Amino acid sequence: MIEISERVDVPSTPPIVWGLLSDPRAVVDCVPGATLGDEQEDGSFDATLVVKFGPAKVTFNARVALEFDAAAMVGHVTAKGKDKQGGTRVRATMAFRVAEQADAPGSTIPIDAQVEISGRLASLVEGGAKIVVKRMTSEFSERLAARCAAASAV
Amino acid sequence: MKVYERLAQAFAAEGVSHIFGIMGDGNMYWMHELDKLGVKMLEVRHEGAGLGMADGWARVTHTPGVATATCGPGVSQLATALLTASRAESPLVAFVGEHPTNDDEYNQRLDQARFAAACEAGFVRLNSADSTDEIVRKAFYLAKLESRPIMLSAPMDIQQKTFDDDEPYKPSSTLFSTRPSRPDPEALERAADIIAASRKPVIVAGRGARWSGAGDAILKLADRTGALIATSLMAKTWLSEDPYHVGVSGLYATRTAIQLFEEADCVIGIGASLNRYTTEHGYLYPNARFVHLDTKPHVMMSGGKSADCYVQTDAKAGVEALESLFAKRSVKTTGYRTPEVKKRLNGHFEDRTEFLLEPGSADPREVINALDETVPEDFSLFTGSGSTAGFSNILFRRRRPVVLASHFFGCIGQMLPAAMGGVLAMGNKPAMLVDGDASVMMHLAEFETMVRYEMPLLVVVMNNQALGSEYYKLDAHEMKAELATVPTPDLGAVAKAFGGRGKLARSAEDVRAAAAEWVAKPGPMMIDARISRSVVTLPYRRMHYGRDE
Repeated sequence: MIEISERVDVPSTPPIVWGLLSDPRAVVDCVPGATLGDEQEDGSFDATLVVKFGPAKVTFNARVALEFDAAAMVGHVTAKGKDKQGGTRVRATMAFRVAEQADAPGSTIPIDAQVEISGRLASLVEGGAKIVVKRMTSEFSERLAARCAAASAV
Repeated sequence: MKVYERLAQAFAAEGVSHIFGIMGDGNMYWMHELDKLGVKMLEVRHEGAGLGMADGWARVTHTPGVATATCGPGVSQLATALLTASRAESPLVAFVGEHPTNDDEYNQRLDQARFAAACEAGFVRLNSADSTDEIVRKAFYLAKLESRPIMLSAPMDIQQKTFDDDEPYKPSSTLFSTRPSRPDPEALERAADIIAASRKPVIVAGRGARWSGAGDAILKLADRTGALIATSLMAKTWLSEDPYHVGVSGLYATRTAIQLFEEADCVIGIGASLNRYTTEHGYLYPNARFVHLDTKPHVMMSGGKSADCYVQTDAKAGVEALESLFAKRSVKTTGYRTPEVKKRLNGHFEDRTEFLLEPGSADPREVINALDETVPEDFSLFTGSGSTAGFSNILFRRRRPVVLASHFFGCIGQMLPAAMGGVLAMGNKPAMLVDGDASVMMHLAEFETMVRYEMPLLVVVMNNQALGSEYYKLDAHEMKAELATVPTPDLGAVAKAFGGRGKLARSAEDVRAAAAEWVAKPGPMMIDARISRSVVTLPYRRMHYGRDE
């Protein structure tokens, strides 16, 4: 199990940030290598995620479910998938919250994620997977921050 | 005559010229008789190392190597070497004594059948004087047929019984022919269809292809189909004269090779098992169909998968048959063989990532390059295990008469003995072994054996004074990596104390100079190459540090 805690600080106010984050497509756009597919009847989405482990690319097909609590400005994302060859399974959960920064009007977004990789690739990537996931999370944070900055500039 | 005399005659009649092991009262009479018959006995310092040498002999010649040990404690020393030989599918006969059948309280007693089973070796026992011929014949027959080690266990009292038969011994070769197997025409047509329909084929040649002499046929097939040539680790540098040879398929591949593999729509495995290491669990070839040629009835690839078309055939016979099918169909594809790909392959083995070297240590990559350049092409190469194999198994480029990599059973320490056996099997032709410090230290006493038999073997110790794999894994997990450091003395001086030549090298230039000295006069020599721990191997950068390099 890989556990990640990140914190993103953006200069926009919480309502602006929440407005962005409660849009599934906007969130998925911030995940490097992810593409959102069709929406299912239960509100979940099909998605593909291309992850680079070393120079080798692995494509995962995943089902992504998103839950938003607008009042509390809290979001939960769960993704479950396996790679195209069926050898490796991934289960990931991510929780984020949008809160006011101590010195307003900025927002702070704590993100907690857990990623579990099982199957053939698990032994292959051993320590490396953690680094890969960490790198992806920080790239996610950067993209998110950039998006929020762009939104608040408008 | 005595049974042990007949046993020796039978071994000699099987064509045995060298045996490796340690004398004890369970095998000494047999050895005494073999000596009379002109069979050369190599007295080693550890029975397991003796078996490792027989394993090296088998891997080089593809014929049974012979090891020996006395009963009980001599046999139990064989464990790791037996497992390694078994996983390597090395044909091998281990002649071992066994405690007397009428003495269950014997000090050196051991249930050797159970021991052999746990070590994944076949087992035959000499149960009576009358079965002497049959049991030797069976041991060699099984070793060759099943291509694995067979333990021939001969109780001490039965060895002393009278053998009463004057018929000449019939060797195991009289039991079965070794004609190469031909491909089934229908299966071959299906294979040809898949290959002809592909635009980007990759040939992965393994040691089975090398053994069958399929080299020229593979070069032709690759040219006709526009295929890249890669090898399994077991056939490293084989056919590397081809301009579209990309090195090893697996985690020892270069970044460029991995990117090219990703484009492949067809993999043609020839005499290679296409296991998880060769295909990276299949992830190296996400878009390819597989054609698989091997002598076995069937080979399951990595992940319990089967090739889209499997053809049971001798590699040479199979590839030649494919070639004539394609000639008939006038197949000729450019495939990967374009100026653009050639440009991408230019210098792709160079690893340009910079690391800050510790003072008084060499860059291991420069050490390998210096060795590959300095040691001529007609000298063979053995690469060892542990983390430093990540340098040698990528960076050695030149085709050599024999290039053998360690790997089997994932253990350290087994390649020094295998290299020694390999050198003898080649008729005492010079070779170098490049292995890690912990690995060489494990059977260091065998350097003395090398000296005693004046073997032209250069041992290069890639000495990072650590259990390298553990060092980097601990480091990647941000744990205390120093726990995996273990200093060694100056191994050049140790080599000299053993009666050989030796050098301590602290730079790639030191290594180059020492290697040149050895090349001028090959003999038992050890270079203690002090390498920097700060340089991480490519596979480890990928696996443990998540880097795309």
